Parts: sequence; structure tokens; C-alpha cells
Amino acid sequence: MRRIISGAIYVLSATIGVLAFVYPFFDVSRQPQASAHTQDAPLITAALVGLSVVALLVELQGRAISAKTVALLGVLVAIASVLRFIETAVPMPGGFSPIFAPIILAGYVFGGRFGFLMGTFTLLASALITGGVGPWLPYQMFTAGWAGMTAGWLGKIPTDVLIRNLQSSVSKTRDWRLEIGLLCAFGFVWGLLYGVIINVYFWPFAAGPATQAWAPGLGLWETLGRYGVFYAVTSLGWDMARAVGNVALILLLGPATVRALSRFRKRFHFEVWPDA
Amino acid sequence: MLDARAWLLWALAVLVTASSTRNPLYVVLVLLIAAAVELACTPRRRGGLPASFRFGAVAVPLAALFNGLTVHLGETVLFRLPGWLPLLGRPVTLEAFAYGAINGLTLTAIFSGFSTFNRVTPARDLVRLTPRAFHEAGIVLSIALTFVPQMTRSLNQIREAQAVRGHRVRGLRDWLPIFVPLLVGGLERALGLAEAMVARGYGAISDQAHSPRAQALLALGLLALLLGWLTTLFLPQWRVAGIGGMIAGAGLIGGLLWRVGRSVAHTTYRARRWTAREGLVVLGCAVTLAFLLALLPFVDRETLYYSPYPRLALPAFDPGVGLGILGLLGPALVAKAEETACDD
Repeated sequence: MRRIISGAIYVLSATIGVLAFVYPFFDVSRQPQASAHTQDAPLITAALVGLSVVALLVELQGRAISAKTVALLGVLVAIASVLRFIETAVPMPGGFSPIFAPIILAGYVFGGRFGFLMGTFTLLASALITGGVGPWLPYQMFTAGWAGMTAGWLGKIPTDVLIRNLQSSVSKTRDWRLEIGLLCAFGFVWGLLYGVIINVYFWPFAAGPATQAWAPGLGLWETLGRYGVFYAVTSLGWDMARAVGNVALILLLGPATVRALSRFRKRFHFEVWPDA
Repeated sequence: MLDARAWLLWALAVLVTASSTRNPLYVVLVLLIAAAVELACTPRRRGGLPASFRFGAVAVPLAALFNGLTVHLGETVLFRLPGWLPLLGRPVTLEAFAYGAINGLTLTAIFSGFSTFNRVTPARDLVRLTPRAFHEAGIVLSIALTFVPQMTRSLNQIREAQAVRGHRVRGLRDWLPIFVPLLVGGLERALGLAEAMVARGYGAISDQAHSPRAQALLALGLLALLLGWLTTLFLPQWRVAGIGGMIAGAGLIGGLLWRVGRSVAHTTYRARRWTAREGLVVLGCAVTLAFLLALLPFVDRETLYYSPYPRLALPAFDPGVGLGILGLLGPALVAKAEETACDD
């Protein structure tokens, strides 16, 4: 029963999150009253995204986070936040950000739940440090959390090589080509996907030419087409730097990081049994 | 210094105000108020201008330029670009530049509110705002924020140690001998910290999963939120019921947070004080939101909506709305009053 309810919580918060990003694609503004409330829409959506992040965090916490997870998460978030601090201090090309590679690699090794927490907390902690708190933060937290969560699913792909690799911390017995190739492709896709998702929330309120702007009453395909043009014109180049940067970082740091994290995952499996 | 909760409410009020209007006169008023609050409540930086003005100096021209060159609506044609230029090759209008500039101004006003909030509120105060229900999240954030200076120190130490060994950072590849010791050192610290936490009894009492009833309430809250939202989006004739559903869902989630929070033992080392100053700031924000959102008879809300298309015209200004927006000046007035009291 507990598993079913827990699954329902995941599905409901994911649905709210996904709808918050994609609702402009639906034909809502054909309703006459809807246009009068288009000014409120971003605020309501931001509040809903915030509430669903809160609900998901309550559920994830409710499954008893151990001291090991808390300590590990805190330290890894600190490392990723330092990387974002460097990004803020030293301008990087386009949308390149070094924080996504650690989120993806941690999610891949420690699983989807840890990856989601790593993504959300990294964005939150680094926003506190770099002064990046704002209405965009719930969206960034949700999207980075999804990146970490889906990275955890990569480790569950039933490929013999992957399973053998994840169970082995000895680098000589690992086939890194498949593993790192998969992570690079994943990092590239998420480098673009992060921009695609984050842009959607403000796109209906952004000005632009008719071929790129959202308008009430468009069909799904027309809306998708216009968003595609808008994204290609305004963001593709910017996001490509992030995607290529992710690939470069995973290629360079991936094997060593996965090796270190896998070794520590085993070391973190200690249990304390109090005397009877 | 004001309580972080009052600052958070103020930043949210700036966000709501700036998002509720496209009238440039009101947006500029919000921007000036946010700049006045920043100047009054934060130490002056070298260079003089508030951060929001420097941001606006880039954001407004860029937004105006992008919109002006790519949107070809409006009647006042400034010049024409050759037709063979993809996307740009049509008449360039004054109205399109104005619309882009208004978008840039709105963005600058929102940035300005949160920039001030970020500057005046220390990170530790923000962590203390974490509800008790998120005590694990609060601990993770505290650990992260505590470890960041240590990690920065470690990073510098590792760089120096590698430099002594002849290592030079020339490209991305050269970061590997720096990043791996940083990661492994951090993980060792995490292991030590976890052992210390377990040894001190962390999780001995509170390390329990939520009850199925609490989980069911959470799921119900999310369901009410989702259904309420879908109703407001797709069934406008049921909008009131939809809003009711969203409020019920938010209430259920909030109530559950409060209930979970009550079960967490919590010791306050130094209690936060809520004084008349914070009350004044919140009252000012409430006045602003009431003037903007409530249907008050002496406020002309129509002036909030403005579009420069098809022909640029001066936006209307309602003194009632302007007066309401002045409520956001609360923090600056409080800071000024404190300064005067100190001088006396």
C-alpha cells in the first residue's frame, strides 16, 4: 500500500511539474475568461511548481534519510556549488555550466532518488551562495532534479556490461567505452533539454515575431513548430555550449569520478547495530 | 537588520507587482523603489550604481534590440531591412523597440527585488527559514554551506600542491589531477561526518518513515492541486471551484508540513524577533498587493495593462495604483528611521 501511495505522489508531482512547463501548448486561451488571467499565470504556475517540489521532498524525506545519505549529499552538493561559484566568477562560453556533470554522475552511481535530491539541492545551495534566488529557482530545481533522477535510471538499463561495471570498482575490469559513451550522450541530451524545458515557462510571455510567438488558439503541432523556431533562434547556440561542455567534462572526469563514487558507495554501506 | 521572513515577503511582493503590469510607468516606479531600498539597506559598493541599474543597462537595450529587429508589428516605421535577410528583413518599428524595452524593464525590476534580497539576507538566515518538516533538507543545506569554504580552501591547497610538483592548468584536461583529489577528499570528509553523526545518535529517534495516512494526505493534496488547476485551465465556467480545489490542495500540503514539523524536536539557539519594523514592511507589501489585486473602487486597474501596438502612445497613470506601489518602500523607510535614531 505504502509503495502505491508513494508511486502516486511521484506521478502526481511529476504531472504537475510537466504540465507547469507544457501548459502553453494546450489550447487554454481560447476560453474567453482565460485571457484576462494571463498575467496571473506565471505566478500561479511558479507557486504550483514550488508546492509540488515541496511535496516530493516531503515524500523523499519521509522514507528516512540516513546520516550517510545526508552527509554524502551535503558534501557532494558543496563540491558542485563550488563549481558553480567558479562558473559565476569566471565567465564560461554560452550556457556551459560545470554543475550538471556531477549531478548526472552522482545520480548514475547512487540511483534516481539520490540524483533527484542532488539536482534540487545543488541548484538551491548554489543559488544561496551566488545570489541566484528568484522566481526561476523552483523550475531550475525541478529540471536539475529530473536530470539527476533520470541519470539514476541509466544505471538500471539491463545491460550485462553496465551491471558488471557498476558492481565493480576495479577499473581494469570495467569497459569504460560503453559506460562513458552512454553518459556522454545523456549529458549532451540533458544539456539541450535543460534549456528546452526552462525556456518553456516564459515563452508564452516573451515577445517575438509571429513565426516564433505563442498565440491563443493554435493547434498542438503549430505551437510545437513555433516553439521549435523560437528555441532554434534564441537558445540553441547557447545551450549547445552546455551540451558540448557536459560531454567534455564527462569524457575527462567521468571515469575517475564514477570509479571514486562507486568505491565510496561500497564504503558507505556500513550499518550500526546497537547492543541488545 | 530586518528579519529574513520580512525580506522574503518584500521580494515576493516586488515579483508580484512587476509581473502584474506591463505599464512602463509602474515598472519604472517599482525599479526606482527597489533601487532606493538597495541603496538604503545595503553597504555601498565601489562604482556607485546599484546592481539593478547595471543589469538594466544590459538587459533593456538587448531586449529592445532583439524585439525591435525580429518583430515587425507597429505603425511607426523607423527603417527597412533588406528582404533577403532571414527573420530581420522587414520594416523595423518604434513600437517593437518599445515593447522589447518594456520586457527588459520588467525583467530588471524582478531582478532588482531579488538582487536586494540576496544582498541583505545572509545564507544562514535563509537556511533558518527552512520549515521544521524539512529538517533533513536543512541539515543537507547547512552541511553544504559549511563545507563550501572548506572545499574552496581544499581546491586552492590542491592547486598549490600540484603547482609545486610542476603541474600547470592550461586546459580542461589539466583539471583532472585537481578535481579527483578534491572529490576523494570530500568523500572522505563525508564518511567521517556520517560516522560522527551516527555516533552522536543522529536518526535514532526521527529516522522513521511517514505514516501511510500522512502519505495519503500528501497524495490527496497533490490531486486536489492538479484537478483544481486543470479546472481553471480548461473549464473557465468552473474557475471558482478550481481555485477552491487549489487552495484546498495547498492547505492539505501546508497542514501536513506543519504536522510533520511538530514531530521534529527543535532547539532555537537564538530566537528570531519579529518587531514593529517587520510589521511595517509587511503592512506596506499588503497595501501594495491590495491596491493591485483587489477590486478597489478608487483604483483604475485597467491602467496596469498597456501595449505599445499598433501605434506608440503615452501609457495612462493612475495615482491610486502609484500610491499603492509606494508601499514597497517599507524597508528603505525603516532603514532611514534607524539611521536617524542612531544619529540622534
